[in-house]
Amino acid sequence: MNVQIDTVMKRARGYWFVDGFTEMVAGGLFVLLAGILFSHGNSPQTSFQSWFPLIIREVSIAKFFGLLAAALILWWLKDHFTYPRTGFVRGNRVTAAQLFIVLRNAILFLLLPLFGLLAAALFVASAGSVLSSMPVWFPVGVSLIWAVLFVLAGEWLGLRRFRLLAVLILLTGIKVGIGQFAMGLPALPINLQSGILQPPVLEIINHTLRSLGFLVLASGVILMVSGIVTFLRYRKENPTPYTEAV
Amino acid sequence: MSGSLQNLSGLDRVIHEPARLTLVALLSSVESADFLFLLKESGLTKGNLSVHLSRLEEARYVQAEKTFRGKIPHTEYKLTSKGKSAFDQYRKSLGSIFNKKA
Repeated sequence: MNVQIDTVMKRARGYWFVDGFTEMVAGGLFVLLAGILFSHGNSPQTSFQSWFPLIIREVSIAKFFGLLAAALILWWLKDHFTYPRTGFVRGNRVTAAQLFIVLRNAILFLLLPLFGLLAAALFVASAGSVLSSMPVWFPVGVSLIWAVLFVLAGEWLGLRRFRLLAVLILLTGIKVGIGQFAMGLPALPINLQSGILQPPVLEIINHTLRSLGFLVLASGVILMVSGIVTFLRYRKENPTPYTEAV
Repeated sequence: MSGSLQNLSGLDRVIHEPARLTLVALLSSVESADFLFLLKESGLTKGNLSVHLSRLEEARYVQAEKTFRGKIPHTEYKLTSKGKSAFDQYRKSLGSIFNKKA
């Protein structure tokens, strides 16, 4: 009985994702971020000091305004399409402690991959080796973290398709890593010339950005496809607004 | 009467009814929800849903708030703190009944 009650509670929690709009919009945001990463991964960088703050700023601005735009688009879509068909739900109010956790996670989401890159770059400046294998392992590591987050979210919201998304994103990360390896990039650390301003290190960082860009792009496409499939199913089940159906 | 059976007889009758239990479980996960959402998710008819919501309102487990969405009148239902604690208590009681060995 408690299991059934849990299922009902999860259905209510997962209602935000019932129409696929969230995945479609999130996928679009990922594609936008991939564009920024590609643009930096393909442009020759000469000064790490000017380049790193630039990419931090661009990605942070894109994420901030992207999230804002995504929220507005979602609000409009749900107000005009979802709520008239299957009803309106107001999510639980966020407490101060929960808000702190959300803000902390948002900041981590914004900055963690880039600071990871910086940390690795600084490490290589002293150790001179690990960064060389980053284009291969970075997408694998990031996709693993995302996959775990999707599985946990899927469990909390009762959405089984999130497990499939987790598997697909993890496989994508592995595929990107293998692709970088097939291009001749090392999977094991090799010695590079020390110093983060040296051309070989910048080259490796550019490769890493490109591989991360591939992962973000593919994840965005996966999310969008998942959203479209969910939307089509939802629309089939709820073709007209409720007031028109009765 | 064994402890488990005493627990069984002490279950909240308002929540124990399956339709009302579904409604309370749905509302426990969100801040509030409207009639249409509850109608679709519970699978009840409009008449049945109204009756069960009224019963929950009488018990002060659920509170109805009439608002407007644009120009359209809109009623949202939310679980009161009394309703939340009653639901928590119900789940605990139910768990203890099934967890105790006869």
